[in-house]
Amino acid sequence: MSSGQAIFTDGPGTAPRRPGLFSRMWKQRADYLYVLPAIIVMLIVIGYPIYYTIDLSFSRTPTTLKLSDKTFVGLQNYVAILTSPNFWKVTWQTLVWTVLSTIFAFGLGLGAALSLHREFAGRAFMRGLLLIPWVISAVAASYVWKWLYHSDFGAIGALMVQIGVTDEPINFIDNTRTSLYALIVVNVWKEFSFAMIMLMAGLQTVPESLLRAAQVDGANAWQRFWHVTWPHLSGVSMVTILLLVVQNFNSFIIPFVMTGGGPAGSTHIWITHIYEIAFQRQNWGAGAAYAVILFILMMILGIFYVRALTRGDATRAGT
Amino acid sequence: MSSMTHTEQLSVRSRRQIDGWRWTGRIFLAILLIFTVVPIAWMFITSLKTGFAAMQYPPQWWPAAPTLENYTRLLDTRDSVGQDFLRYFFNSMYVSVLTTILAILVAVPAAYAFSRFSFPGRTFLFFAVLMRNMFPAVVFLVPLFILMRVLGLVNTHGSLILTYLTFGLPLAIWLLKGFYDNIPIQLEQAARIDGATRFQAFFFIVMPLSTPGIIATAIYSFIGAWNEYIYAYTFLTRQDQMTLPVGIQRFFSENATDWPGLMAATFMMSVPVVVLFLVLQKYFVRALTEGAVKS
Repeated sequence: MSSGQAIFTDGPGTAPRRPGLFSRMWKQRADYLYVLPAIIVMLIVIGYPIYYTIDLSFSRTPTTLKLSDKTFVGLQNYVAILTSPNFWKVTWQTLVWTVLSTIFAFGLGLGAALSLHREFAGRAFMRGLLLIPWVISAVAASYVWKWLYHSDFGAIGALMVQIGVTDEPINFIDNTRTSLYALIVVNVWKEFSFAMIMLMAGLQTVPESLLRAAQVDGANAWQRFWHVTWPHLSGVSMVTILLLVVQNFNSFIIPFVMTGGGPAGSTHIWITHIYEIAFQRQNWGAGAAYAVILFILMMILGIFYVRALTRGDATRAGT
Repeated sequence: MSSMTHTEQLSVRSRRQIDGWRWTGRIFLAILLIFTVVPIAWMFITSLKTGFAAMQYPPQWWPAAPTLENYTRLLDTRDSVGQDFLRYFFNSMYVSVLTTILAILVAVPAAYAFSRFSFPGRTFLFFAVLMRNMFPAVVFLVPLFILMRVLGLVNTHGSLILTYLTFGLPLAIWLLKGFYDNIPIQLEQAARIDGATRFQAFFFIVMPLSTPGIIATAIYSFIGAWNEYIYAYTFLTRQDQMTLPVGIQRFFSENATDWPGLMAATFMMSVPVVVLFLVLQKYFVRALTEGAVKS
């Protein structure tokens, strides 16, 4: 990235003294043309919504969303949501959802990646099968699982009765105690292979010679994993876990399609709750205030994410 | 036994250990495969039943009289269900293909610039682009809806394409940048010395070498657009414009859900992305390997 830079700038040779920011920007103006389309699209579709959401969160807006009738109310929306009992209930459910989904998706993904790492007949086929849940739409997945969990004709309930686990079918998603966990199973099913594919890619960076050397030195399988494989996986694991956390925290479709947050709000997580407040109750201010808090949380996670992601780049670029 | 050297003993012991771990791995994989495949198999089995056969307890684990009527109805242009399904299918196809083409046109130059140039603000802009991944779609719904109203795009597929473009771009740019980082800069330098302009060097030397990355980006964009639900659910109110994930709700109509019909529709909806992905998965895996795990 550093060598041969000069040849790629259209201007004359670099000056001996480091030129000012604007003259450098002007000199390399052609470079911006390459990123300009991306930046414009991102600015319109991301910059503006963020500004708008912050604006809404400090205002009371009529349910018709008529912007001219908006009034400034300061922190009122924030106070209202933070003192509402729903806030803590939904936050706790979001935590359970995010933490359990991430742990199980990562664990299953790691196990699958390690099991599939060795070459064997049908390996590509198995990898393909395992990836299907990740590839199909979350809407399709939600409907299929809703049908599997169906209280009267669901395959899971019937199977449990047939093998003698229970006497009659359990109603998983209409029960406030089991509903959230039933949905977590669906979520793990949907996303574990994302962790698998990331970790499979990571496993390719583990030098075979190092593993063999450890084996000759008498390290057992666990020791080889812990002392040789895992250190090589820590970078990609970090990125994978962060992406899973973000993705799970931002989940919407599975709870929305399967239960709509019910029964009795037991499967509401942050995003479905925001949707309900804003779009079903038309309380735009409160919804926006939730969103702003979410922005801040995500920004914090995002800093970790970008750091984990660009670590390789930074060391190479020498910054 | 006494004639055995230390290394031989070691290899016997470690082989036994390896066998043990390998069997653990196989059993784990078998269970995981069951967990993965059974729901999909059940979707397919249900789609082969009549509405009556699906509503039985205990369920018919394999339909007593398998039928393709759910599929023929979906594909029947004279049936109203079929007409709607096919319209949703083509809407989805149209939106996804256009999104994919635009995503590549926008992401390729951007990724190349992030990989090669060192213009001021490069790092900041790259971070800003990546940050998009962190925000949930719901948060953008209201402002984007208003934006689309301003742009006159409400109830058009353009609103979806513009939106999908942005949430596909960060990963696309990041994947492609990984590819460009791995293409030796000397190739372009040689071309420049031979008189090629910077754009020619990019277009004729670098682009062809990054084809696997472009294919991976295309798969990613297509799948993302094909499966998207929230914006399609909010931006489009006209029946005839709906895409598949929203459209298949019609199977929940009136008082009873047509489960076999719904399962047939979800199956048909999954076929294009699954086939596309399975055929091209090696590019996708390679792109992730080069993008995510280099260094």
